[in-house]
Formats: sequence, structure tokens, C-alpha cells
Amino acid sequence: MRNKIAAASAVIIRKTLRLMGKGATTLPGKIALKISPDIIRSKASGKNIITITGTNGKTTTSHMISDMLNTLGYDVINNISGANLASGIATTLICGREEVKKAKGDSKGLVYVLETDEAAFAKIAKPLSPKVCVVTNLFRDQLDRYGELTHTRDLIAGGIDGTSATLVINSDDSLVASLGIGREDRSVFFGMDKKALISYEKDHPAKKGIIPPSADAVFCPECKVRYEYKARTYGHLGDFYCPSCGRKSPDPRFAAIYGEEGNPAFEGYKFSIKDTKNGLMEEVPLKIPGSHNIYNTLGCVAAVTVLTEKMEGEKEDHFEKACDASSEVKAAFGRMEKFKVKDKEVCILLVKNPAGLDRSLQFVADSKDTGCLYLLLNSNFADGKDVSWIWDVDFESKAEDLPENIYVSGQRYADMNLRVRYCGRDVREKGDETHMKEIFDKALSECPSGKCVYILPNYTSMLALRAMLVKEFGIKDFWK
Amino acid sequence: MEKIVIGHFYPDLLNLYGDRGNVLALAVRSRLRDIEVEIRNISVGDDLKEGDIDIGFIGGGQDSEQNIMSDDLVKVKGPVIKSMIESGTVFFTVCGGYQMLGKYYKEHDGKVIECLGAIDLYTEGEKERFINDTVYEFSPDGKSSVTCVGFENHSGRTYLGEGVMPFMKVVKGHGNNGKDGTEGVRYKNTFGTYSHGSFLPKNPEVTDLLLELALKRKYGEDYILKPIDDLGAKEAREAALKYIETGKEQMI
Ligand SMILES: [Zn+2]
Repeated sequence: MRNKIAAASAVIIRKTLRLMGKGATTLPGKIALKISPDIIRSKASGKNIITITGTNGKTTTSHMISDMLNTLGYDVINNISGANLASGIATTLICGREEVKKAKGDSKGLVYVLETDEAAFAKIAKPLSPKVCVVTNLFRDQLDRYGELTHTRDLIAGGIDGTSATLVINSDDSLVASLGIGREDRSVFFGMDKKALISYEKDHPAKKGIIPPSADAVFCPECKVRYEYKARTYGHLGDFYCPSCGRKSPDPRFAAIYGEEGNPAFEGYKFSIKDTKNGLMEEVPLKIPGSHNIYNTLGCVAAVTVLTEKMEGEKEDHFEKACDASSEVKAAFGRMEKFKVKDKEVCILLVKNPAGLDRSLQFVADSKDTGCLYLLLNSNFADGKDVSWIWDVDFESKAEDLPENIYVSGQRYADMNLRVRYCGRDVREKGDETHMKEIFDKALSECPSGKCVYILPNYTSMLALRAMLVKEFGIKDFWK
Repeated sequence: MEKIVIGHFYPDLLNLYGDRGNVLALAVRSRLRDIEVEIRNISVGDDLKEGDIDIGFIGGGQDSEQNIMSDDLVKVKGPVIKSMIESGTVFFTVCGGYQMLGKYYKEHDGKVIECLGAIDLYTEGEKERFINDTVYEFSPDGKSSVTCVGFENHSGRTYLGEGVMPFMKVVKGHGNNGKDGTEGVRYKNTFGTYSHGSFLPKNPEVTDLLLELALKRKYGEDYILKPIDDLGAKEAREAALKYIETGKEQMI
């Protein structure tokens, strides 16, 4: 009874707020949870649910999985607006039916694809009882808000233990991979093919800065001994092993193999994915460029394969279909989205933490179409008040490959300016958030024709940037 | 050509909140003066002898990571570090690294962690963390003073022993313990602070003082540092001060 009242209230609130032109992605759920704390369990019961958690790539991964399931004939409901706390998830469960993304063709059923904040996951995993839980990676992320990384890992582990879900987890991330220990029978790993990774690293040695970037999780928590790496992708991800206890990156069921030609920074870069369980291999184009998006694509193929196996039985060739579906996805809001302004392009890459900024800078350094780089740094509560994290990022190793013209803005533009100057590069134009638009205009006008202005904002500076772009260019909802 | 060796202690474990920016500042401001720089990573299991380094940097870490290195720091490297500090080697230490120089760290549940005991100070953990932008007054020679800015994030409250000199005076923020207006410690050529991350990049007067102390020790008292560009540090400091004055920062 309480659940019915809670749900009914949420629906009314949502309708009222929507009439007022509000998004209403969290408030209805918040109120429903107040009326009935049991509402998530009640609404989730009997549904096909997949959760996605981890530090980076949650939104991209959720978006891709939704698109892929859609292509495969499923109706999909998701919390794509980024409402990834309990309130947003309750809202999605109660009110999501009005926003079903209809399957292409006859529907095979309905799936809820839920991006879930790491801390929220600990509390709501049990009532959600998802069929599949995806964990992308774990990196330091605004430590002043989230606390220690091992604590985040333990929160996720606690959430998992309240469910009987199959885990789709990254084998190259020592923290994420450790979630599989003691849960072997329900863990499915995805990661780089080990042989391919070693030979790729040999052919593409990473440039080194003055000092190594700040490392996360490079010690075995059991033995307190430094992991050895046979090869690395980025950050602490790679083929690791503990020389003391022998703990190592698991052999993944789904393994990615770098392509023969081109560069992962280019859209359409061809790489291969193996399903070692069934001895299958597919070549797929990287739809969302950036070497870290190989992991995201791989995680999505793994998740969709495992989920469709669970829902439809293991007989069909789910892997091949998942690979095909992955070639039809699009980028999510603020993640590698591009739009045209006359003969130039603008691309926004949201950067919230050191690993994200590191990958985005590398991407800009590797891209062929880079015209200029515009960095935006705010320090509102949602961003984290402390901007020291920009010093954890290895600008030095990318400095000489960044474009000639670099611009900075945002509340903490002067900190970002200093960071850029320290890596030996000059800044063309700088100013606080009140100058964001005029500096954007300058960057755009100074960008060579046919090239792209890459903008790397953190969270609230992205919101401000988006509002400005919508107003100036009449680009409506280009992020949807 | 002069050469300076910077010892970066436990870079793979003590690397919280951008602490590596401090090592970068020392290196970049040396290179801009054509001083050769060698950065030596000194982590668990690595050798350390007196005379190996000209400047030592010890940052802060997460609890789980500090647990991994604390035995190595206190029991293995402790005696050498203490003797280096006594003989005037330059050290710059932040947060956890600073606390480790003291006698002990008492957690709020009463557990006592033994520290290096290189300087007469101790730390007590409390539940409430101090997380905020900070402003300090630093007086390198006891006469002139420089306004420095930083960011603190710590639950430890550090108390200096009788006659032990603080590094700076708190203008805004909590400093050592939120009570006595002191921030950090200065003992011989060793400095400790709660200011994370971009402290040395943003406050080049301190960076240059550390470099000068180390170079004078190595090349004689007559050694003078060449003046160089501040790379926008003063602008960053002005902007931070303005940001703090307009109340946009959040005091927790
Ligand atoms: Zn081990």
C-alpha cells in the first residue's frame, strides 16, 4: 500500500514539474523514498536490470549499452540524464515508462540500464537485485568528496554481496579485478589481450614526463609489495602481477586486440574482440575515439553478451550480435560529442579527475584534426573544492604534442594557466568564468578551418559552457 | 653547471592531492636556471645514504598506502633521514609526510602510531577534517613577509614542542591544529606543511628558498639564485586570494 502511494506521489510530482519545464530526474524519487523506503525493491522486483558503476566511463558505457540493446530488439529505460544516486534511480524505476526507448523492430522485452554512483551502489544494489553489474575502473576521484579508493572498492563489494548478479569487471584494473576474488563462479572479466598488449607497448612506447604521474593501487594489498607489470595501458591498468603472492590480472573471457593500422584516437579505428569462451573473434570499429574507449566498448560488448545470454539462453550467437550492435552507438552528453560551426568543429570532453584529464589530453595530442585546446576549471562543490588534482596529471609527457594555441578559463583559470605554463607551454588567452564566452569566440576564430576546437571542461564549467553554446548557436539538445 | 638531486620519497604511495606538483616546481625552477636536475625516486626497498640527495620531498598518502610505507620510513630509512635533517639537508614535507617527522600520531580511537621523531612535535587525529582554501604569512628572514596560498585537507591536529618554530602564520584556514594560529614547522632546513598540491608551484618564493638553501649548502654561502619568470604563479595567487575574499571558497 505504502509503495503504491509512494509511486503515485512520484508520478504526480513528475508530471507537475514537467509541466513547469523541469527535468524532474531526482525529486520524484526522493519523495517516493521518503514515503516508502522499500520503493526501489518493490519497483525493481521481476525486472531486467543492469547496473554500471566505476570511476570513469559510467555514462559512456550506460549510453552504449542502451543503444546496443535497442539495436538488438529490446526496449530500454535508463537514467541517462546522469541522475545516478538512489533518488534518480527510484525516479527512473517509477516514472521511466513514459520515456521508453523503443526497440528497432519487435520488442524482445524491457531492460533497465542504470548508471549507479559507487557509494549509492553499496546501498541500492540489494533492493535492485540486478542481473548484471558492470564495474568499469577505479581511479582517484575528488578524494575530498569520495574518500579513499580502497574504501570505494569495499563499498562496491558490499553492494555486490547483496545480489546474485553476474559481474562484468575489468581484469586490467587490480582494484576492480579483486572484486572477483571469492566470487569466481559469477565473475566475467574483460581486458586487453595480454600478448597483444605487450607487443603493442613495444611498438608504441609511452612518452615519459619529468616525473611519473601519481599512481593509484600499484601495491598488492595482501603483501604490501609493488605489483610488477608486463605491460600497461594507462594509469594503473595493465597486465599486473604480485611477485610475492602471485596474484595477477585474470585472463579475460572478452579480450581486446589492438588493430594493425591507425590510431585509437581516430573514429572508426578497427580493433578486434575475442570471446575466448566460445573461440570467436570479431573486428569492430571504435565508434567513440580515444584509447580508453577500447575498454568502454569492450565492457559493453561483454555486458550485452552476458545479459542477453542470461535473458535468452546461451544457444544463440550473442557475442557476434553484440559486436555488430556496438558499431551503431553514439557518444553521450559531454563525452566526445562533436558539432559543426561553419567550416570548423567543436568537441567537448568532460574531465572530472586526473585519469580523465590525462586520457583527454592524450587524445587531443594524438588527434589529427586538433586546431586548438580550451581548458575550463571550476571549483564548485560538485567539482570538488580542491583543484590540486590537476598537478597529478602528467601534462609534461604530452606538452610538445598539444596544439599551438591553448586557452584557459573558469573560476580557477589561473591555476590551470600555471599548470600549463609549468609543462613548458604558453597560454594564448586566459580569463575567469566571466570571460568564458569571449575566449571561446577567440579560440573558434583562431582555429584553422577544417580543424576542431577541443574543449576540456570539468563538471560545472561544462554546464556553463553548454548553456552558452545552446544560447549562442541555438544548438538544441545536441547532447541527447 | 650546477646540479641538484631531488629525492622524491614514496612517489608511488605518497601522492595525494597533487603533491607531485611540489617536486615539479623544484625541478622546473631549477631547469629554468640551467641547473641540472636529477629526480631520484626513493620508495619501499630502495637504498638511501646520507649525501645521496640535496633536497628531499615527502608527501601525504591515503591511510592504506601510508600503512604500506610507514615501517620502511620509520624503521629502515628513519635513522638516515634523521641524521640528514640534523646535518641540514633540505626537506620539504606535506601532510602525512610532515606528521611522520614528529614523535607520534595518535588516532582518534586512541591507537598510537610511532613516527620518526626527527622534530619535537606530535599529532592527534580527530573526526572532523579541515578541508579548505588557506592563506598564510611567511617570513623567510624574520623581517619581510610573503602572503602564501594553499589548500589543506587533514584530520590530524599537530602541536609543536616548546621553542619549535612554525613554518608560517595562519591568515585564513586552520593550520596545524585550528587553535594556535601556527602552520607547519621549520627546523634547520626542514619544512613541514598541511598545504597540499600546488603549494610550491603557486608560492615560488618558498620554492626558491628551498633551492637556495640546498645550493648554498652544496656550492658555498656565496651562491645566489638567478631571478626567473614566475610562470603565472603570482596571478594564480592573486586569483585564489580574490576567490577566497569574495566568499566563493567553502570553509568546512
Ligand atoms: Zn601479493
